Amino acid sequence: MPSRLSVENLKSYFFTRSGLIKAVDDVSFSIEPGETLALVGESGCGKSMTALSLLRLLPEPGRIVGGEIHLDGKDLLRLPASEMRRIRGNDISMIFQEPMTSLNPVLKIGEQIAEALRLHRVTEPRQALTDAAELLDLVGIADPRRRLRDYPHQLSGGQRQRVMIAIALACDPKLLIADEPTTALDVTIQAQIMDLLLELKQQRQMATLLISHDLGVVAGNADKLAVMYAGQIVEQGKVQQVFTNPLHPYTRGLLNCVPRLGQKQDLPTISGHLPDLIKQPDGCLFIDRCPCPCTQCGNQAPAIEEIEPGHWVRCWRH
Amino acid sequence: MSLLEVKNLRKSFRISDSLGRTTGQLVAVDDLSFSLEKGEILGLVGESGCGKSTTGKLIMQLLKADSGQVFFAGKELSGLSSRQLRSHRKQVQMIFQDPFSSLNPRMTVGAILSEPFVVHKLAPAAQIRNRVIQLMEKVGLSAEHEQRYPHEFSGGQRQRIGIARALAVEPQLIIADEPVSALDLSVQAQIINLLKKLQQDHNLSYLFIAHDLAVIEHVSDRIAVMYLGRIVELTSAEELYRNPRHPYTEALMNAVPTPDPSHPRPVALKGEIPSPITPPSGCHFHPRCPYADDHCRRSAPNLVELGKDHQVACHHHQQVGKYLIREK
Ligand SMILES: Nc1ncnc2c1ncn2[C@@H]1O[C@H](COP(=O)(O)OP(=O)(O)O)[C@@H](O)[C@H]1O
Ligand SMILES: Nc1ncnc2c1ncn2[C@@H]1O[C@H](COP(=O)(O)OP(=O)(O)O)[C@@H](O)[C@H]1O
Ligand code: SF4
Ligand SMILES: [Mg+2]
Ligand SMILES: [Mg+2]
Repeated sequence: MPSRLSVENLKSYFFTRSGLIKAVDDVSFSIEPGETLALVGESGCGKSMTALSLLRLLPEPGRIVGGEIHLDGKDLLRLPASEMRRIRGNDISMIFQEPMTSLNPVLKIGEQIAEALRLHRVTEPRQALTDAAELLDLVGIADPRRRLRDYPHQLSGGQRQRVMIAIALACDPKLLIADEPTTALDVTIQAQIMDLLLELKQQRQMATLLISHDLGVVAGNADKLAVMYAGQIVEQGKVQQVFTNPLHPYTRGLLNCVPRLGQKQDLPTISGHLPDLIKQPDGCLFIDRCPCPCTQCGNQAPAIEEIEPGHWVRCWRH
Repeated sequence: MSLLEVKNLRKSFRISDSLGRTTGQLVAVDDLSFSLEKGEILGLVGESGCGKSTTGKLIMQLLKADSGQVFFAGKELSGLSSRQLRSHRKQVQMIFQDPFSSLNPRMTVGAILSEPFVVHKLAPAAQIRNRVIQLMEKVGLSAEHEQRYPHEFSGGQRQRIGIARALAVEPQLIIADEPVSALDLSVQAQIINLLKKLQQDHNLSYLFIAHDLAVIEHVSDRIAVMYLGRIVELTSAEELYRNPRHPYTEALMNAVPTPDPSHPRPVALKGEIPSPITPPSGCHFHPRCPYADDHCRRSAPNLVELGKDHQVACHHHQQVGKYLIREK
C-alpha cells in the first residue's frame, strides 16, 4: 500500500536576482491516513514553501526542481495543471495562520463555505447552505444557521479559524495542511482549535501536516515530527522518539527554549539566527549556532541518517 | 512609596454605529487597582480584549480615564501640565508587539535611535553617535547595523531596536505590551533574557503584558490576572504557580502547552472570550467556569485579600485546584 502522502527528496528553489535560495532542499517524509506529521522550525526555514510545494502553488520565482510527491500513489508533479486544480479542490486543503487573509471580507461566510462545497461536488444552492450549516456545527460554531449570514469581521479570531477549517473540510480532504493554525490566537483558543483538529482527524482519518514553530503545541498533537532548519529536515521520527531522545542540537535548542510553568531560571537560547540561504557553506548549515561542532562539521555537510528504526538525524555528532 | 500606583481605574469607550451615532458603551477597564515597586516586574495576563493595552495606555496618559487615579513616584498624573506630562513620558516608556509599525521606515536605525537624544536634549550633538552605538550594543545589535533600515531586520532584531529606543531616555518604568507575542519561540527566549538582563542592570521596573501565562510566569515577580476589564487574581509568581485560587488562572495554566508528549494535552477553556459590550451577569467568568453556581450568576465577587499579598475575586476560591493538571 502506498502512503497517503509521500514526499521524496523534494527540492524547491527560488531563482532570485541576488542568487539561488534553496528554500526546500532534499526534504522527505510520509503521512498515513489518520496520522499527523508536525513540521517544526523557525520563521524562514522553509515550512510554508514545503506546504505550497505539495499544492504546486509556489510563489515566483520559486520552482520545484527535484523530487517526487505522491498522494495515494498518484505522482502530483506529473499531473497536468487541470488535474492538479481538481486535487486542490478535492483532496488537499490548507488552512493558514491568519484566516482573515484567505476569507473574502465582503462575502457572507455561508456563501464562502457553499462555494467550497460547489467546487467539490455540484450541489443545489439550498442544499449547499444546509451542508454549510452542518459543517459549522461540526467545527463547533454555535447557532450555525444564524452565523451563515455573518461577514468574517463579525467573528472572533478563533471563530474565523473554525470557519476556515469548515471550508477546508468542505471537500472532505485526504490531506489537511495546517500552516501555523493557532499562532495568532490566544492560548486558551489555541487549545480549542487543536482539540478540534485532533477530533476531526480521528473521525475522518485525514492525514494532517501540522506546521508550527512551537514544540509545545506539537507535543500533544502529532504522531510524527520533522524538524526543519535552513530548508532541510535535520531530525525526524515518532514524536515520542524525538522528544525523549532529541539527537540534533537544534532540536534540543528548540525544546529548551519553550517556557514552562514553574521554571524561573533563564531560558536557554539558540544563539544567532538562520543563515543566509544564498551563501551555502561547505559544511553543516547549523555550524554557526552549534554548541559543539567538530572539524568535520565545517568541511562536509552531514547526510540524514537513520539512528534507530524511524528516527533520522542530520548531524556528524549525534 | 510605590513607583507606580493605580487606584480604582476605569475606562469606558463609546460604541457607535456606521453613522457615528452612539449606540452604547463598553467598559474596557473596570475598577483596576495595583501597585508596582521600583525594580519590580509586574505581569499582566489575560485573553485578547480583556483590557491590558488600555491599562498600559492609561498609565502612559495616552488615554484619559473615566475615573480613578494613577500615581507615579507619588505624583498624581491627571493633574499634570503638558510640560510635566512630557517628563512623565520620558520616565515611562512603552514597547510594543510589533515594533515595525512604530519605526519610521525611511529612517536608518542610527537616525531612529538618535532622535530621543535630540528631542529630549540628552546629549551634546558630538556625543550622540557614541551613545547610539552603546545602546545598540546593549541590546545585542552590532554597530554595523547603524546605517540599515527597519525592513532589513528580522522580527527579533526589530524588537531589539524598539527596546533600544525605549532605553535611550533612561526611563524608570517600561510598559512592555506583548513584546514577544509575535516572535518565534527561539527568538522569544532571546528577547525575554535580554529584557530581564536590562531590568537587572538598570534596576528598571516593568509592567509586562502578555496573553501567555508561561511567559508571564517566567518573567514576573508578581502577576495580575485580568478577565474582561477586571483583575481576578493578584499575587506573586511563585504563589500563583503553587496555589492558584481563581478558576480562570487555573484554566490559563491548563491551557499552556508542555513540550512533552507524555504530559496530558492542554485542556481547552470552553467557550468564547466574552465581549465587554455584553458582559455576563454576576461573575463575568461564570459562563466558562466549571465551579459556577447560581450565586455566581447573580452576584459579582469582590477582589478579597486571602492572605499575605494574595488577592482573588471568586466566590468559590477554596475549591479551586480540583481541575488543575500538573506537570509530572
Ligand atoms: N517569494 C519569494 N521570493 C524569494 N524567496 C522566497 C520567497 N518566498 C520564500 N522565500 C524564501 O524561502 C524561505 C522559506 O520561506 P517559508 O517557507 O515561507 O518559511 P517558513 O514558513 O518556515 O517561515 C525564506 O527564508 C525565503 O528565503
Ligand atoms: N479606542 C477604542 N474604542 C472602542 N473600543 C476600544 C478602544 N480601544 C480598546 N477598545 C476595546 O476595549 C477592550 C479592551 O481592549 P484592549 O485593552 O486593547 O485589550 P487587550 O490589550 O487586553 O487585548 C476591547 O474590547 C477593545 O475592543
Ligand atoms: S465566582 Fe463563581 S463563576 Fe466566578 S470564578 Fe468563582 S466559581 Fe467561577
Ligand atoms: Mg510560514
Ligand atoms: Mg493588547
